[in-house]
Amino acid sequence: MTTATYTRARMSYGFLLTPKAIFGLIMIGALIIAGAFAPFIAPFNPARQDLLMAMTPPQLTGPHYLGTDHVGRDLLSRLIYGARVSLLIAIAVVFFSGIVGVFLGIVSGYFGGRIDSFIQKFLEVFWAFPPLLLAIAIVAFLGQSLTIVIVALASQRWIPYCRLARAETMALRDREFVVAARSLGAGHARILREHILPNIIPSTLVVGTFAMATAIISEAALSFLGLGVPPSIPTWGGMLADARAYISTSWWMALFPGLCIFLTVLGINLLGDVLRSHFDPKIKNF
Amino acid sequence: MTRMPTLRCLASAALLFGASPAALAAEEMTQQRIAVAITETLAGHNPYGDAVVLIGSLWCKVYGCLMRYDFETGRPIPFLAESMEAEDELNWIVRLRPDWVRSNGDPVLAEDVVHSIDRVRNDPESTSGFIVQPIDTAEVVDDLTVRITTHEPTATLADNLTLLQITSKRLYDEHGQSVYRSHPIGAGPYRLSELSIGSHMVLERVDDHPMVAPSNPQQIMYRIMAEPEARVTALANGEVQIAQGIPPQLIDRIEQLPNARTEFANSVEMMFLAMNPATAPWDVKEARQAVAHAINREGIVRALLGDRATLLDGPVGEGQFGFDPDFKSPYGYDPERARELLESVDLVGVEIDFYTPVGRYTADRQIAEAMVPMLEEAGFSVNLRTPEWATLWSNVQTGGVPFYYMGRGQMLDPSRALRQYFETGGSPRLEFSDPELDALLQAERAAFDPDERYGLMRQAIAKLTEEVPAHFLWLHQMAWGVAETVEYTPRQADRVDGWDIHIRTAP
Amino acid sequence: MLAFTVKRLFGVIPVLLVVSLMIFALMQAAPGDPVSMLVSDEASAEDRERIAAAWGLDQPAPVQYANFVKNAATGDFGTSFRYREPVMDLVLARLPASIELALYATLLAIAVGIPLGVLAAARPNSVFDTIGSIGGFFGISMPNFWLGILMILIFAGYLNILPSGGREPWGLDLPRITGFLTLDAVLQGRWDALVHALRYLALPTIVLGTAMTGIIMQITRASMLENLGEDYVMTARAKGLSNRVVLWRHAFRNALVSVITIIGLEFGALISGAIIVETVFSWPGIGLLLIQGITFRDFPLITGLVLIYTTLFVLLNVFIDILYTIVDPRIRMR
Repeated sequence: MTTATYTRARMSYGFLLTPKAIFGLIMIGALIIAGAFAPFIAPFNPARQDLLMAMTPPQLTGPHYLGTDHVGRDLLSRLIYGARVSLLIAIAVVFFSGIVGVFLGIVSGYFGGRIDSFIQKFLEVFWAFPPLLLAIAIVAFLGQSLTIVIVALASQRWIPYCRLARAETMALRDREFVVAARSLGAGHARILREHILPNIIPSTLVVGTFAMATAIISEAALSFLGLGVPPSIPTWGGMLADARAYISTSWWMALFPGLCIFLTVLGINLLGDVLRSHFDPKIKNF
Repeated sequence: MTRMPTLRCLASAALLFGASPAALAAEEMTQQRIAVAITETLAGHNPYGDAVVLIGSLWCKVYGCLMRYDFETGRPIPFLAESMEAEDELNWIVRLRPDWVRSNGDPVLAEDVVHSIDRVRNDPESTSGFIVQPIDTAEVVDDLTVRITTHEPTATLADNLTLLQITSKRLYDEHGQSVYRSHPIGAGPYRLSELSIGSHMVLERVDDHPMVAPSNPQQIMYRIMAEPEARVTALANGEVQIAQGIPPQLIDRIEQLPNARTEFANSVEMMFLAMNPATAPWDVKEARQAVAHAINREGIVRALLGDRATLLDGPVGEGQFGFDPDFKSPYGYDPERARELLESVDLVGVEIDFYTPVGRYTADRQIAEAMVPMLEEAGFSVNLRTPEWATLWSNVQTGGVPFYYMGRGQMLDPSRALRQYFETGGSPRLEFSDPELDALLQAERAAFDPDERYGLMRQAIAKLTEEVPAHFLWLHQMAWGVAETVEYTPRQADRVDGWDIHIRTAP
Repeated sequence: MLAFTVKRLFGVIPVLLVVSLMIFALMQAAPGDPVSMLVSDEASAEDRERIAAAWGLDQPAPVQYANFVKNAATGDFGTSFRYREPVMDLVLARLPASIELALYATLLAIAVGIPLGVLAAARPNSVFDTIGSIGGFFGISMPNFWLGILMILIFAGYLNILPSGGREPWGLDLPRITGFLTLDAVLQGRWDALVHALRYLALPTIVLGTAMTGIIMQITRASMLENLGEDYVMTARAKGLSNRVVLWRHAFRNALVSVITIIGLEFGALISGAIIVETVFSWPGIGLLLIQGITFRDFPLITGLVLIYTTLFVLLNVFIDILYTIVDPRIRMR
């Protein structure tokens, strides 16, 4: 492989109309639309039970295209409604924890010294802390709700961003272009914003995509202990938790929510790739 | 393990000569060992410190208890005791067997019984003081005789004593609190050979113990396996021979295995919907009755429990004290009647919070989910709450949870449980109070003649069922996976006693 | 560097104090009391009082905390309510199992994830890259319990070549030296035991390693791509260095900082959070201990465990900071 092919490969990331981008946009768009217009799309009321139809396998000809769960609720309808809460949780957790984590990370890595040591101590306090315990305590004061899930999950999710941003910032802070900018009189804020931040976006995006999947799945763990979203609201995580008991007998109950998470992660990643090449300063070298 | 071929040889030789294999087996103790996959945790070495019923019964097997439950007759029978007789209403004389000794040769003495009663009551680690709650004093009469005096006439004392392990006073005096770890020496048919907290426990047969049969396994490992699929798989590939807690949806998988089968035992844990009459709307009897009529128990049992449950008319089922096959609950499934009742007291649309544990009982959350539309059809507006177990359980114990799905185990004899939940001042769990029921339950406890007691218990149950502070739902049928190499009939109340397990000799 | 390390290591003390205070406050705030969880279903009011008094739970919260700190300072983290053993003994008995599993899972993820990531970066958007990425996302989207049970059904059930759970066979009889079974087996030349230990490790390792492989591959790929665009790589290529040398010696070395960070984070998460895998495979590790501690409101156990996690994580962070300066000499710790 030569530099030329490498360059072409980088170029083909292109802008928003590459096949990858379109694919990603369609996927995420479809999920968001499904969630937003759930009452018009879903074939059944997601809460409607029919014990006689419990655990019906997927039916190609309908009415239960993806089968039913243990109390006979339509799986497809629940997946469509579930997109609302699950996507919201995933995006909120990743967004908040990403902003906090990256900010603390670049500050920690850029300034070093006392600031670094303080921020790292702060991080260590949170890292070992069981989010489950936090969730139990918050539920006692505020009741079972979506906010708790987001707070409990985000309480630790910022840590990877912070460590990663810090490490990369430390590697960047004495590089030629940063030193040059500094000698030209650029302030710290400007250096961080214009020279450091763009360079740590790619790895942050990777962490973010994976964090989306884990956020959706972790919601299931909280639901399982009765700390998640109230049980009447369908979520992909909650559906996975329900499916656990029936894995060897009703595979569809676990497979389809899992696939939805997969599509979300894949779609976000494709979009992320596109955004990255759009904002990456080095792309302009080509 | 390696002795099997020899055994088989001998067995076939014996058949040739006309001797019965059973007679031959009596000469040769089987050397087989088996593993049992269990679901609950294992808290440690102190026999008085484990609140898990199954583990408590294992400690009875190691140390020996005064009495044990005979599942054939449904009554307690002597174990370490030779006899237990009432002197009068308050005093009992327990005589110990002179011939059963601890595995270090020490006899089991009257002072050990007094010591054990003291330990279960006063050991700071003990979780089971309730066992000796009715006991006022216990005194040594002679080496093998104890007099137990109760606070009030207590006909069910023998049932309590099936749960009391008799540990050695001498060893405790020598070694103190660490004795359970360093010298777990008992007079039971199995001895402790290994224990790893939260993981497994190995018991070894005491070969010359009178309760042991030659075909009882030489070693039994009780191994905690939390995941049902893993228990079934381990049974299939021979890693374990007995598996506890097979969920309904996996029973078919075991039935299809060539090397294992399922056996069933009715649990003695009543599952019920508790409605706390100190909270609205459960202070209105019609609302409680509406719940009882609204639940389609048959439908739930069929769809979610694979028909593996016995519907209850009242708090007890077959095999439990007080069961009357002719008694029928007045509250069958009748959604229209439920609605009418709710309308008659103008409560249609009343908002209720419905609490269920998650992952505590077979399909608990699923069952509660299925009940929601049934209750709504009757006119309730239901919020299903699924608090984390410790939160719910603490709140139930300290009182104030209005409406919940729950089980109450250890009900071979329902006396203690009914008192706890339904007698005035029994516990804060339900805050139900009815003078007539109180009188019946008190009379029942004090009745020493079993037939008279049975009659009173039946009356109490009829009254209780009619008042519906709780709607009694069903007893789960506990499914156990059992390997074909093993003869084992599961018992009620989670007992997996070594003397009940027999290794099948090869045909 | 030495000064930095020493300073960081001493920094663990205030961190531990803050963590213990937070845990204590949260446990006081959380509903559900340890007494209710300890007593049997049949317990009477007297039982409850006796147990509360025995564990000092009838004391006011500040007194309880003061007692805890006083004892902890002497290395005594108290006795578990439920298991009635010193918390330290309980944790130390199980910690090796967790660390051993985490180590093997991490090794697996590194061995698979890094080469795949480097190759994907060398040919971005190739079929290989696409399949690798999709596989990684698939791995993370399928929850651990699903993968774990599937593995048990296939390898322990259908194929019947691996055990369904646990850490060692009954009667392995391997004296413990370090607590790491594979290491103990090698030290004592017990090859049979080594094979057993590895067989029991196989399935949980694969399940834990799968998600981690995905993220390591992706982070390697992303950092490599970043570095392959840098001037020094251009220079290296212009100097006529072989593609392999450029990829591994130059680009990969610079990508290592991010990769090491992620490995450290994931390893930490594995030590503390392999709860589902430990449940599914009956693995006697400390993740399960923490969950049981929380469900039983076993305050000493929770506090002890969290403080041990904290210490481990601080050590891990210091170790990784030192690694940074080794792989990238431009990084200095101040």
